Amino acid sequence: MPSYRLQTIRPMAFSVALHPAFLLVVLSLKTSRSEVLGEPFQLTPEILTVSTESKLQQVNLQWTVPNLTHQELKMAFQIEISRINTSNIVWVENYSTTVKWNQLLHWNWKSEIPLECVTHFIRIRAMVDDAKYLPQNSWSNWSSWKEVSVQVSVAPNTLLIFPDNKLLEEGSNVTICLLYGQYLYNVSCMLQKEPIHGEQLDSHVSLIKLNNVVFHSVSGTNIHCKAMNATKMIFGTVLFVSKVLEEPKNFSCETQDFKTLKCSWEPGVDTALVWSQQDSQSYTLYESFSGRRELCDHRNSHNWQITDDSQETYNFTLTTENNLRKRSVNLIFNLTHRVHQKAPHDVTLENIDARKANMTWKVLSRGNNYILLCQIELQHEREVIHEHNVSVHMSASYLFSDLEPDTKYKARVRCADANHFWKWSDWAQKEFCTPEAAPSQALDVWRQVRSENGSYVVTLFWKPLLKSQANGKIVSYNIVVENQDRLSESEHYSVPAPALGTQLSLDPCSYKIHITANNSVGVSPESVMVLSNDSGHEEVHEKRIKGTKDGFHISWEPTSGDALGYVVDWCVHSRDQHCDLQWKNLGPNTTSTNITSGAFKPGVRYNFRIFEKSMQQKAQLLEKQTGYTQELAPLENPEVTINNFTSNSFILSWPSYDSDFQSAFIEGYHVYLKSKEMQCHPKGKRMTLPDYWVLCEYEIKDPEQKAFTVENLRPESHYEFLVTPYTSAGQGPNETFTKVMTPDENSNMLLKIILPMTLCVLLIIIACYWKSQWVKEKCYPDIPNPYKSSILSLIKSKKNAHLIMNVKDCIPDVLEVINKVEGPKTQCIVSGNPHNEDVSMKPPSSVPTEDGSSGSVPFFFFENFTYDQSAFDSGSHGLIPGPLKDTPCQLGLLTPPEKLLNVLEKDYMKSLAESPTEETSLIYVSQLASPMGGDKDSLATNPPMPGHCSEYKMQMAVPGRLPSLALSENNSLTSEILLGQGEQ
Amino acid sequence: MDLRAGDSWGMLACLCTVLWHLPAVPALNRTGDPGPGPSIQKTYDLTRYLEHQLRSLAGTYLNYLGPPFNEPDFNPPRLGAETLPRATVNLEVWRSLNDKLRLTQNYEAYSHLLCYLRGLNRQAATAELRRSLAHFCTSLQGLLGSIAGVMAALGYPLPQPLPGTEPAWAPGPAHSDFLQKMDDFWLLKELQTWLWRSAKDFNRLKKKMQPPAASVTLHLEAHGF
Repeated sequence: MPSYRLQTIRPMAFSVALHPAFLLVVLSLKTSRSEVLGEPFQLTPEILTVSTESKLQQVNLQWTVPNLTHQELKMAFQIEISRINTSNIVWVENYSTTVKWNQLLHWNWKSEIPLECVTHFIRIRAMVDDAKYLPQNSWSNWSSWKEVSVQVSVAPNTLLIFPDNKLLEEGSNVTICLLYGQYLYNVSCMLQKEPIHGEQLDSHVSLIKLNNVVFHSVSGTNIHCKAMNATKMIFGTVLFVSKVLEEPKNFSCETQDFKTLKCSWEPGVDTALVWSQQDSQSYTLYESFSGRRELCDHRNSHNWQITDDSQETYNFTLTTENNLRKRSVNLIFNLTHRVHQKAPHDVTLENIDARKANMTWKVLSRGNNYILLCQIELQHEREVIHEHNVSVHMSASYLFSDLEPDTKYKARVRCADANHFWKWSDWAQKEFCTPEAAPSQALDVWRQVRSENGSYVVTLFWKPLLKSQANGKIVSYNIVVENQDRLSESEHYSVPAPALGTQLSLDPCSYKIHITANNSVGVSPESVMVLSNDSGHEEVHEKRIKGTKDGFHISWEPTSGDALGYVVDWCVHSRDQHCDLQWKNLGPNTTSTNITSGAFKPGVRYNFRIFEKSMQQKAQLLEKQTGYTQELAPLENPEVTINNFTSNSFILSWPSYDSDFQSAFIEGYHVYLKSKEMQCHPKGKRMTLPDYWVLCEYEIKDPEQKAFTVENLRPESHYEFLVTPYTSAGQGPNETFTKVMTPDENSNMLLKIILPMTLCVLLIIIACYWKSQWVKEKCYPDIPNPYKSSILSLIKSKKNAHLIMNVKDCIPDVLEVINKVEGPKTQCIVSGNPHNEDVSMKPPSSVPTEDGSSGSVPFFFFENFTYDQSAFDSGSHGLIPGPLKDTPCQLGLLTPPEKLLNVLEKDYMKSLAESPTEETSLIYVSQLASPMGGDKDSLATNPPMPGHCSEYKMQMAVPGRLPSLALSENNSLTSEILLGQGEQ
Repeated sequence: MDLRAGDSWGMLACLCTVLWHLPAVPALNRTGDPGPGPSIQKTYDLTRYLEHQLRSLAGTYLNYLGPPFNEPDFNPPRLGAETLPRATVNLEVWRSLNDKLRLTQNYEAYSHLLCYLRGLNRQAATAELRRSLAHFCTSLQGLLGSIAGVMAALGYPLPQPLPGTEPAWAPGPAHSDFLQKMDDFWLLKELQTWLWRSAKDFNRLKKKMQPPAASVTLHLEAHGF
């Protein structure tokens, strides 16, 4: 830490001792001479000591006026202070005082620069400035310069910062000086976090001037410096910047009991700083009349004890003080004018009934002549509803009237000195509640009537009574229903509170309904409604009205002059089942009203009904009005169906909206039709879209029209359409267009032709199928019947009966049974084939069958029955007439077709060989060119070649004039047999 | 570490040996006096808790001192505060300390630091800061008691304060408040360093006071770990 050394140049000791005595003699001579002569004289002051107070940066000067002979002399002194050198004068001050003989004079000066940093010099001169003497027109000689310096030694590589721990007030200026030790250079300093710069006074001193310093923290403002060549070292000081001491505000004193004066004030900011630099400011109260001074125990109040009862007037000075500043406020008052009355006591409320209550209270009085002013307040739900002032001596009472039944009140009273009003006392209060009374107002009632199963369903509604009308808690509602048609009949209902309605089911008669509300004390006046037979069935025209943002203006035409009043009702939720019926009662001369409600929403239709109440309390429906507070564009488009769809037109149709769900009155519909390169109807509006698309817009101005025919369309073309309703607020949403494609123009025609044709063909096919056998028989039988043949007719026409060979006429050559099969075992394996059965249905009538069915006979015999007929017919050959049909069946199963053919061939050969041939008209040729004999085995082992077959056919008995057609028929039939065998 | 197959077999053998010997380890079978172990553990836990508490307190207090003391890179040379017990010590010296000396140094350091800290509390301006400091002083007092308990458990006498060495760290009239702030900074810093050191001290002591565990470790080391 720096050590301080005060260096003052002191006068020599001997001169101190000698000087007074010597000068006294000389001066006394001079003075006496001057006085006599009236000449001015000079007195040169002599500096005795110059001391410093480093922390305060203060220089204290002590001097005397050595040659003063007078007991008292008024003198002026001039003091000069120079810095660094004597020629650099930084301060000149004149100081006047009365100087006594041998007096030690004092003066001090505060340097803005810490005294440790620079050397100061000081000197003084004087001038007599006394009216008793001739004015001295010149200063005395200057005293010699005295050097003022505080010596500090700065170690190498260190930095000293002055002032240290400086206490100063916010907003003031301060000069910081830095003393550099040896080897230290390039020092940078910061004030908290901000760099600060100074001026270099000489090689080892620099000054930093800080103006208008601000308060940072109670722990002071840090100034810290670093040297470039010793960066680790940190040097610093703390400036303790105090907040400015504020004058106490609203200083006042008052008494409640004339024993203590309570003085209070607003203290302002606390100027305390830490590390004992500055404590919180002190507050001192001084009363000038008593001369008492007391240090206040709180920073914002003090209780001053009244010790002298006779003292009426007080003069207080409140002084606040900290290390830097002192501030005072003054207050003078008469004690009786500063009386803060105590709150009244013994507050009671008596005789409370439904409408009034009496309040009494007592006050603290100071004598018979002491009058108080009291303020009475009556509050209900924190709202002052009554206020009154009364003069009070000792005790008082006040009657509250016009109270509401069944209501909570708070009564309160406060008082003050009536003669010298200073302050109201605190409130003294009491709460009370008035008892209930009978409801004072009839209910506001309304009804809704609807028919159901031949009876009335009457829903009664009523509004709850206001608290001021109910006069208590409503317990129940009483309903009396009088039948007007049968006066003796009346029904009573009681609906417990808090219900606000009830539903009655009544026969279709006229009724008078009385409704009252009950509380614990009594019954309200009754409300009456009359229902006639036609209530709820009135039909009137509905009128459209336009609402505003706030509501609707409803007006109507009265029908009769003696209306008791009107009722307008409506549903808050017109779209819901529970509509929340609202109504408004209006006077008899009213023909219009404004219906406002926060529940009204834009885009919702509200339906109002206006009723006229007759003198008999019967309500007659006058008008219906409907409207919107704000109409909105439709929220949805109708669902469109397409009818009569043809290649060049179709009809669009859509259902109607429920009116309650419309967001506005629908004024019509827009139909949009879109296609490529389309021609619009003249009534439509055409718009061209990109990609050669054309949009036609048609407007339907009749909202009731729910269909639109789109015509002049091209077949097999794409069309898109949209139907949207429009209201005053705009049209419905722009939804996606519905796509359709017109059908082909001929498709209908084709359909008309092809369908019947197809049906006909089908019928024919079915018929043909069904009669196929018959047709077959008719057209191309399997076995042509020669008698039925046209050839026959031809032959007959030529009268040549022998052209057709009769089997009876043939005499078989040989008849041989190839294979004998037992009768029961002759069931053909293919007998199940219906087709084959059909074929065999037509065996020649002469073919003997065991069981009458021909079985599978045709496979083997139908070609040569003609030839074998005689053989079967004659039994002379002793051949077993077994069922011939069976044989081939077995063959069919067991032998290949070649063998079968062989067998057949053999049969034919035998038959041809054994039958007697008598017919001359026929040419019979042996069917075998080579001798075969009757050896059966050789037949089996030598199957004939297919060539034989053809040979055989070639050798068939063919009439000479048989047309080639017949031959070819046989040929083909043979082939069929073979094929059939092969298939088997 | 380069482990070969032989090493692996060695490790396995070693583990088996350890497991074989585990039932014979007295510490694991001990059921009587727990010894100083738990109190050392508690003291160690307390140092860690105080470390955490000091972190919050130092933040508040350094902000109260203002810049540059609350700046994160502020690291002034330790000029004043010479009377503060110095926590930093040469590693070799620290290793060479025996338990008694180690505990004695801790006890003495916290005795001094607690005294200084109470002085700090008296000067604090705000009530909140005073509350925080008082709470920390109480905790530090608890730590001192714990160290005394450990020393008593190990049979070491408590160091007697020499007459005249009672720290009196009240700033004199000529004391610069900037240096005072610097001393406060160093007090908090030394306190933090002491808490770190104590945590190491007690951790070491804790391990040392578990002889069975130590013997097992030695056994493992003998097998070439």
